[in-house]
Amino acid sequence: MTDRGPSGATRLVPRSNDHRDMADNCSSIDTEKSPQEDGPQTPLPRKLQQIVELFQSLPEEGKRENLILYADATKKHEPKDGESFDLEDIRKDEECADTVGVFLKVNPEGQALFRVSLGPHVQTLTRAMTAILCRGLEGMTPQDVLTVPSSFVPQIVGGQLVRVRSQTTYYVLSRMKGICKVYLDRKRMAEVRKADFHQ
Amino acid sequence: MSTSSYAHPEVLVETSWLADHLQEPNTRIVESNEDILLYDTGHIPGAVHIDWRADLQDQLVRDYITPDKFAALCGRNGITPATTCIFYGDKSNWWSCYALWAFRLFGHTKVKVLNGGRDKWIKEGRAITREKPSIQPATYPVPAKRLDAEIRAFYEEALAFSKSGKPLIDVRSPGEFKGTITHMPEYPQEGVLRGGHIPGAKGVPWKLAVNEDGSFKSVTELKKIYEEDCSLSPEKETVVYCRIGERSSHTWFALTYLLGHKKVRNYDGSWTEWGNKVGAPIERSS
Repeated sequence: MTDRGPSGATRLVPRSNDHRDMADNCSSIDTEKSPQEDGPQTPLPRKLQQIVELFQSLPEEGKRENLILYADATKKHEPKDGESFDLEDIRKDEECADTVGVFLKVNPEGQALFRVSLGPHVQTLTRAMTAILCRGLEGMTPQDVLTVPSSFVPQIVGGQLVRVRSQTTYYVLSRMKGICKVYLDRKRMAEVRKADFHQ
Repeated sequence: MSTSSYAHPEVLVETSWLADHLQEPNTRIVESNEDILLYDTGHIPGAVHIDWRADLQDQLVRDYITPDKFAALCGRNGITPATTCIFYGDKSNWWSCYALWAFRLFGHTKVKVLNGGRDKWIKEGRAITREKPSIQPATYPVPAKRLDAEIRAFYEEALAFSKSGKPLIDVRSPGEFKGTITHMPEYPQEGVLRGGHIPGAKGVPWKLAVNEDGSFKSVTELKKIYEEDCSLSPEKETVVYCRIGERSSHTWFALTYLLGHKKVRNYDGSWTEWGNKVGAPIERSS
């Protein structure tokens, strides 16, 4: 089910528009909720907390304006020419209106860098959340990304905008967690294999 | 494509016409989308935004706003009963047809749809702006009533149609109609408890009514789909439904205005009501 992407990274799923294929594929890498995901004690990463605080200080109109600014900024978080990644996960699945590609690079210090590509039909709110997450999660370890609670989403977006037909605001976070989980699983497997080899 | 053979060709405006008539007097361009921030990212110059959820629906009970709230909504958007509202939006005009239908619920008669909607306008490279128009508030008299009995159907009425074999048109995707999925494709978070369709309903996905660019098909094609293949006729009563009433608003518009069917009602409770209701009869087909 995996092959090599253009950057040399392992691609999790084929670039395909076939819903059935994608549904099958995504089921294998969806992230299960970690026990602490919705726990009230789980702190947000500093950068994300700052963004949440900014939005909380804004009136409804200001929230909307800033969400548009973030949505405009998603291009900055697309993969750049020549960039290489440890993992790529590009798919169109049932939870989003268009193809979303999530790219993960982990530096030698173990810090994650996310890039995301979005198809033209992805909703504006999802675009905004993508840019917020790319900025807010930058520098975290993949392990810590798994513990980020989704409860911050309504704090940013405001209750009025999280409703029927706008639930994909949660989607990109789940995809980022998904790719981190696969990264960690593969790293663990590689370590086990290495340990076996040396025995 | 000529629209002159539609029953009411005046209800469709083409993008080229609108581009030349942005300042048309007694006219308000209204954008209604599924993507709630799309209007803010850029809209047709002079257009106002009417949100299907925040503006047209009651915020507590699953129902539409009351006539006094409709009057206030129109008033703050500079709309009077004499104002022609030209609706457009994303998703091939689902929500603009929904907003138009809601306006008709309150008896507003001067309504039109931009053929092809927002996507066609954008693809043609026409002007958009982020500047919100400065609107002179107007006074809209409170409508005496909502036209629920005329263009809206409720559960009991849809059930009666089912039992008596009157035309029921299910405009959802084939998977939803067959009951193989309990949600709309791409919206798995909006499931219902049971899949299938109302017994006796015919599955005619909304999309059959539009061309690739989101514009409506010719009257000949529409007649083939709805009158020849489904035996609907202009004088017969018809009830259309989907999940929450937006896709069926699109079909309601095509039947009512483009084919001139006089007794079409939209069952806006649709499958989210029917598929969750205890004891509601359900049919599944392969």
